[in-house]
Amino acid sequence: MRVLGISYGYHDASACMVVDGKVVAAAAEERFTRQKHDANFPTYAVEYCLKEAGITSSDLDQAVFHEDPHAKFSRVLCSAMAAYPDTRREFVQSMKSWLGRKLWAVNSISARLDISPDRITYLGHHFSHAVQAFMGSGFESAAILVVDAVGDWACSALYHGTWQEGRPQVERLLEVAFPNSLGLVYSAITAYLGFSPNDSEATTMALAAFGKPRFADRMRAVVAGLDDGLYQVDEDYFNFTRFFRGPVTDKFIETFGPARKPTDDLPFNCFEEATAVTADAARLADVAASTQLVLEERVLGLCKKLHSMAPSENLCFAGGVSLNCVSNYRILSESPFKNVYIPPDPGDGGTSVGTALYYAASHGGGAPERHRYSPYLGADFDESADIELIDFIKPERITPYLKPGVTLSGLKWRSRTYPNRAALCAAVADRLMQGQIVGWVQGRSEIGPRALGNRSILIRPDDKALAIRLSKQVKERAALRPYAFSVAERDALATLAIDPAHVRANRWMQYAVPVLESARDKLAAAVHIDGTTRPQVCYPEDNPAYHDLLVAFGERFGLCALLNTSFNASGYPMVTTPVEAMAMFARTEMDVLVLNNTVVSRDVE
Amino acid sequence: MIDAIERLKIRFAVSIGWSADPGRVGEVIRGFQSTEADGVWHLYRGMRSISDPKERAIVFGHCLEEESHADAFVRVYRHYGGRAFSPSHFERKSIYQGDAPAWKTLAFVHVGEVDATRRFRLLRDALPEGPLKECLRTVIDDEEGHVDLTHDMLRRMGATDGGIRRAVAGVRLRRLWEGWLRVGRRVVDTLATALLSVVYYVFGLFLFGAARRKLAAGVVTYDNNSLKRL
Repeated sequence: MRVLGISYGYHDASACMVVDGKVVAAAAEERFTRQKHDANFPTYAVEYCLKEAGITSSDLDQAVFHEDPHAKFSRVLCSAMAAYPDTRREFVQSMKSWLGRKLWAVNSISARLDISPDRITYLGHHFSHAVQAFMGSGFESAAILVVDAVGDWACSALYHGTWQEGRPQVERLLEVAFPNSLGLVYSAITAYLGFSPNDSEATTMALAAFGKPRFADRMRAVVAGLDDGLYQVDEDYFNFTRFFRGPVTDKFIETFGPARKPTDDLPFNCFEEATAVTADAARLADVAASTQLVLEERVLGLCKKLHSMAPSENLCFAGGVSLNCVSNYRILSESPFKNVYIPPDPGDGGTSVGTALYYAASHGGGAPERHRYSPYLGADFDESADIELIDFIKPERITPYLKPGVTLSGLKWRSRTYPNRAALCAAVADRLMQGQIVGWVQGRSEIGPRALGNRSILIRPDDKALAIRLSKQVKERAALRPYAFSVAERDALATLAIDPAHVRANRWMQYAVPVLESARDKLAAAVHIDGTTRPQVCYPEDNPAYHDLLVAFGERFGLCALLNTSFNASGYPMVTTPVEAMAMFARTEMDVLVLNNTVVSRDVE
Repeated sequence: MIDAIERLKIRFAVSIGWSADPGRVGEVIRGFQSTEADGVWHLYRGMRSISDPKERAIVFGHCLEEESHADAFVRVYRHYGGRAFSPSHFERKSIYQGDAPAWKTLAFVHVGEVDATRRFRLLRDALPEGPLKECLRTVIDDEEGHVDLTHDMLRRMGATDGGIRRAVAGVRLRRLWEGWLRVGRRVVDTLATALLSVVYYVFGLFLFGAARRKLAAGVVTYDNNSLKRL
């Protein structure tokens, strides 16, 4: 059975191909179009998935869409009408977009894939997240939590999943409806803090570590916790239905102070002592800290509620809020659940994987273990043709187009292909030890927002000055955003203050884990000011090449750990092809680019 | 003649339109950023079908230049935008199939360079001194070089004079058609805005009570928990 999962329409469009119950390919559209969070129909992701399966769309048994357009339309219509007569602009804009395009998504898929609408199935948005969370977990039975901004009507949802006679059964227990949304609150406050909503929530989370939750009580009034573990958002603080008026209302401003302009500097820095922190900047950090704390409390409340309704030792968690690694760690360490599974791409982009797997398993059967999948499902590449052009690159021609502040210029590019992985890893480890910034591109790209050693930028983890150079001259990243590290499984407990039973949960950079005092000097550049990091514990069976590199570096450094950040510049998605990687290498201060077994550098050998 | 009309249009937009709606400048800059980024994307795709590494290297240099322009517009946006920059997402459409000769993609890029340079020049002349004007000066200098570069490359990559003329004419025709569609969309958009505004005020009177009750319900009760079909 060949099933294509599709998600698109709001952000992070993606496609996934499942053949006979196994995921053979999955990718976000942004990786092909170079538009971060691309929401358009995933034309190129679908093309890639079909090619990877060796079929055309006419060979598909089923296409599955991640959303119920009719249910979502009813919510959009109600929210535009509820604030009548103040929402004419919102109504007009929403209706144009919905009546013109989004309402007909299923027909549109049918037309684009040239298949009959009979071969297209769709699911409610949160149901999609629920099956996304459950399908790859390998659990026979689990409680399922979905916390998102908003899908159709639901904003948070509780489910229970089991396997019965080889087929998945996912039962809804409760859904909290719009406008009671933890995700929307967090996004609105992200915009209030001057960052991009639906993109820079991680910056809000990073900022929180610099503040004190002195507004927590006020925030608890805004997002009130109810006795049964559920919550209630006071809509008077947010413009969820009047979105043209900005993210928050005057009442919010009166309570928490004025919003930050995006152009205002924030003096916080993960690597150096902060320069004079103004009272206003401290207030903004405190708002972020209070928001983060209350989010964690409400998510833990939902976990307790869920556990009371579905008493299982296993939890599956998905939806946009499950990208909040600080909150995730509190779930892992404080919730009533013993085992937690968060899929590698728990946001909207990953729903194409879960829904396709769910359909395939519901109609073809199977066992939970069979449906586990790796995050390395994206496009592979052949670097040979692109390596050839290196001899013809004229460094002086590149100089005018370097990123601001980059001074590396005029050096001739060179390439060297290593005969085997051991030689490659030794050479790259030597360069890392010398304090070089290495772009590491190997095989198939990862799904989801985390670079897990196939599209990564790496440096030694103890060098703060190097991390500053990485932030300024390569990533163009705010100084308040911390880095994380990858650590080989053998050194995980030598670096992380974590229950040994939880080590395996940290394979995909989903939890903010405390770093052991004893390891902090060696990992100084990859630890946030609150002493945590978002680690990737790398197992040899998950990513053999990257594990070998970690071990080779460990032989020289004394710890198998590397600072690992995604291979992308600010505002762009992670690179997919060698040429995209070379373009970033060309314009930044990256010292070395590794494309499979070939090392590209600018130095004299 | 067309230039004169466009010059007037741009001067009018800058002096009247942008003063009345300062957010408009930000939107225009976002549009420029998108156009440049789209050009890079087409060039990346076009590169795949160029077998000569020397020519690929030239196109690669071109990509870097266009990407730096896109980045420059993001930086300029910060002066005018008033909020964090988020790129506009329009649907990327491959112009030619994979087996089409690479010079056809280059012809498309060439026409784009010519048009963008002309429009940027008109805007630069209409703008007061400021970061956007400064940015446009640099971009125009580069783009003028691109126009010659792409034309030379078309020849080097084996396109005949007739082939270039036909390809350029084809691209022009396509752009004209797209321009016509844009005008059509704007007209429809204006009509739709008027019609939906009437709908809002008339039907809203009867619907808003039900909508408020539905929003206040707090939980979802309809079937949201199964596989569905049209």
